[in-house]
Amino acid sequence: MEYRIRIGQEIHAVQTTPPDDAGLCIMALDGQTRRVTARSISPNHLHVAVDGKGFNLFVVRTAEGTWIWNRGRPRFVQDADAVQTRKTRGPADTASEITPPTPATVIRVLVEVGGTVTKGQPVVVVSAMKMEMTLSAPYEGRVRAVNTVPGAQVSPGEILVEIDPEPEADNE
Amino acid sequence: MFSKILVANRGEIAVRIMATAREMGIGTVAVYSRGDSMSLHVLSADEAVLLGDSDPAESYLNADRIIAAALDTGAEAIHPGYGFLSENPEFAAKVAAAGLAFIGPPAEVMAKLGNKTTARRIMMEHGVPVIPGMISSESDPQRLATLAEDLGFPVLVKAAAGGGGKGMRIVETMESLAESAELAASEALSAFGDGSVYLEKLLVRPRHVEFQILADAHGNVVHLFERECSIQRRHQKIIEETPSPALHAELREQMAAAAVTAARAAGYVNAGTVEFLVDQSGNFYFLEVNTRLQVEHPITEMTTGIDLVRRQLEVAAGLPLPFTQEEIVRRGHAIECRIYAEDPARDFMPSPGTILFCRTPEGPGVRYDHGIYPGFEIPVNYDPILGKLVVWAEDRPAAVNRMIRSLKECAILGVSTPVEFLLDVVRSAAFRSGDTHTNFIDEHFSEWHPESSAIETVLAAAAHEMTHSPATRKLDGQPGDHPGISPWNTLGSWDLAR
Repeated sequence: MEYRIRIGQEIHAVQTTPPDDAGLCIMALDGQTRRVTARSISPNHLHVAVDGKGFNLFVVRTAEGTWIWNRGRPRFVQDADAVQTRKTRGPADTASEITPPTPATVIRVLVEVGGTVTKGQPVVVVSAMKMEMTLSAPYEGRVRAVNTVPGAQVSPGEILVEIDPEPEADNE
Repeated sequence: MFSKILVANRGEIAVRIMATAREMGIGTVAVYSRGDSMSLHVLSADEAVLLGDSDPAESYLNADRIIAAALDTGAEAIHPGYGFLSENPEFAAKVAAAGLAFIGPPAEVMAKLGNKTTARRIMMEHGVPVIPGMISSESDPQRLATLAEDLGFPVLVKAAAGGGGKGMRIVETMESLAESAELAASEALSAFGDGSVYLEKLLVRPRHVEFQILADAHGNVVHLFERECSIQRRHQKIIEETPSPALHAELREQMAAAAVTAARAAGYVNAGTVEFLVDQSGNFYFLEVNTRLQVEHPITEMTTGIDLVRRQLEVAAGLPLPFTQEEIVRRGHAIECRIYAEDPARDFMPSPGTILFCRTPEGPGVRYDHGIYPGFEIPVNYDPILGKLVVWAEDRPAAVNRMIRSLKECAILGVSTPVEFLLDVVRSAAFRSGDTHTNFIDEHFSEWHPESSAIETVLAAAAHEMTHSPATRKLDGQPGDHPGISPWNTLGSWDLAR
């Protein structure tokens, strides 16, 4: 069968043959062919031999994809075609919104409703795990709403400050 | 000896302290915040007392509640661990005033050494070399400018009460001095409640080398050799090792003597660490004394065979040190890697979340001090350290190879960790050569990001295939698909979904 997998930002085309009696299959990945035998040792432990060389992998299946620990290198693998049909919220989607990158506590709010901001101007300071992070205005504009207060516990996706872009501003 | 102690800390260090207490037949009391009720240190203790809300001020920084918990449970001593109240002289004094033993130095010694300018003065009076700079804090910009001129740029503005890189600014030119001093002072004021700053000469590409000290209440002071802690990110150590590749026998002897002198000069009791910077010509300068157990203490334990927590408890109980300096011998080489919940590809940003799976590295010469388990939710309120991976081997090259092997086995899934980054650092020619200094990460790894080889992609594809159950495929709208669709479906059940 043929399908595509996504590892981080990379997409790879995979072709596999049905396994033989010993569980061996031929896998073609990005045009290169290998002999692959895989065994499940426990729910989180796979043993995979590639062209005769054995590797232990540790895995966790989640709704979005599979976490894989491969000799010190963790990767998140998804079915590339399934991912594309689903609306995911990644860093690229949130870059234009003022939201914390991790769960955090609000330390300071630096703007007020009605005030104007320039692109890159610090608007909120949050703290996570003893590290302070400054969230900046993604574009020039006027503050429409401040949805948080110092001391609040906030999560990624929560919009802390809403900004109306200046209509006449010609920067992106 | 005490029959029961309270550990006023959380996570991996609380677990580690309780391990020794248990070996000594001493009962253990954990304290915890609301957010930590499922943390490993709570599960590891004989008894556990809830302090309050997750905010540190309501829990691990609340001296009165901690002391009340000790009195209520009948604990006779309090071990502060590192961070939180461990270097707070008022806490040490309150513990003593409550009739309990504080497992650390006396409050007045801690107070003296906690102020960096006072500590510098003590060291200078006893002939311990200090970094050229001021012996008292200064706020007048005119005075600062004159002093900076005398020292020569670059200089470092430092908070007198500082630590962990907070309230610290590098100043390259006279023009930026006043602004940097003001920023450092305001940062110091908000972090430590004390905005006084002083100036120090900035050393170029220095190494950070510290000496472990043990002192008892009977006047015995010994050192347990050095730890090299030059590999840092954001002024925080991430890889430590001993012996230091930078010290030759003569320099080691001089620095050890200076460390013992420093401990004696301050009237030190219990375990402490004297930190030095070593410049490229092999000159060394006193930096500060850490009046507590260090995060990186295990590498000293691995090479000397001495359990530092055990000695801390004995000293706090009034017992003399059971060995002389001559009896302390060091063997082999040890390395520690700190594992935080953070993303090295995104400027080491904290990455809280839930540990979905983790596995302890095993085998010869491996020690893993940690505070996690599968399903553990990492609280956002505290330092994101998850654990410390420590290896010992006969020599440095063998220890490096053992660390590489152990990092590969140190599986943590569900949150970002620096394991892959650490693996690439330890494997690098620069690290193997031993040419470590405090700018090492910025110089060699500032643009680091994970890289995959072809074989890793094949393994990822195989694992993906193995864990992709037929049920999911049906959900994806392929009801006609049967096991034949995937070669792995015939191998058994892969129902790993939760």
